[in-house]
Amino acid sequence: MTHTEVDIIQNRPISNAKLGVLVLLGAETMLFVGLIGAFLVFRMGNVNWPPLSLGDIQLPQLVTGINTFLLLFSGLSMFFSVRYIQQDKIQQHHLSLAITWFLGVAFLVIQGSEWIQLIRQGLTLQSGIYGGIFYVLIGCHALHVLGAVMWLSIVLAKSLLGRFSSQEYTGVETCMLYWSFVVALWLILYILVYLY
Amino acid sequence: MFCRITVLLMIIGLVSLLLPNTLDACPACKNLDEPIARGFNWSVLFMMAMPFTVFGVIGGSVYYHFRRANGVRT
Repeated sequence: MTHTEVDIIQNRPISNAKLGVLVLLGAETMLFVGLIGAFLVFRMGNVNWPPLSLGDIQLPQLVTGINTFLLLFSGLSMFFSVRYIQQDKIQQHHLSLAITWFLGVAFLVIQGSEWIQLIRQGLTLQSGIYGGIFYVLIGCHALHVLGAVMWLSIVLAKSLLGRFSSQEYTGVETCMLYWSFVVALWLILYILVYLY
Repeated sequence: MFCRITVLLMIIGLVSLLLPNTLDACPACKNLDEPIARGFNWSVLFMMAMPFTVFGVIGGSVYYHFRRANGVRT
C-alpha cells in the first residue's frame, strides 16, 4: 500500500466497517418493521388482547420491565466503553465491556426463563396469532441479542489482548452501534408487546 | 365499422354515467371504523414511514461525519 493510499484510508470521515454496520442495521430495521407491522394489524384488529380463547395468560410485565432496565443499563455501559477507549482509559474500558457482556447474558437468561414459564402456562407458538406473533417477534429480537453478545465476546477478547487503543477502536465502535440498535429496539418491543 | 364502435362505446359511457355506483378500490378500507381496518391503516403508515427514516438516519450519519471531518481539517 502506498503512502497516498494509507493517507486516504486514515482520513476517511467514516470507516467502511461503520458504514457497513449502518447499512446492516438499516436492513435489520426493515425486517423488524415488517414484523411490528404484522403485530399492529393483529393487536389493533382484536378488541380482546390476549384473545379470550387463551384464558388468563398474562405476560410477565414486571420481570421483563426489570430486564428492560438491565438492557438499558448495558447500552449505557457500552457507550462508556467507547468513551473510555477514546480517552485511553484501558482498565475502565475493559470493565465497562465486561459489565455490558454480563448484562447481555443476564437479559438472555431471564428472557429464557420467562419463556419456559409461559410455555408451561400453555402459551406456545401454536397458540393462535397471539402466541405466533409473540414468539416470532420476541424470539427474533432474542436471536439478535445472542448475536450481539457473541460479537461482544470477540470484542472483549480482542480488547483484553490489547488490540484496541485510542487511535484504533473501530471494532468497539461498530459493536456499540449494533448493541445500541438491539437496546433501542427492545424498548419499542417491550412497550408494544408487553404494555400496549 | 370504426365509427359504429365509437358510437357504441360513447353510449355505454353515457349510460354508465347515469348509473353511478361507488367502487371499493381498497377492500381493507371499506369500514374504516372497524378495528382491523384501523390496524391495517396504522401498520401501513408505520411501514411506509420507515424507509424514509432508515435512509434519513444513514444519510444523516454519513453527512454528519463528513461535516465533522471537514470541520476538523479546516
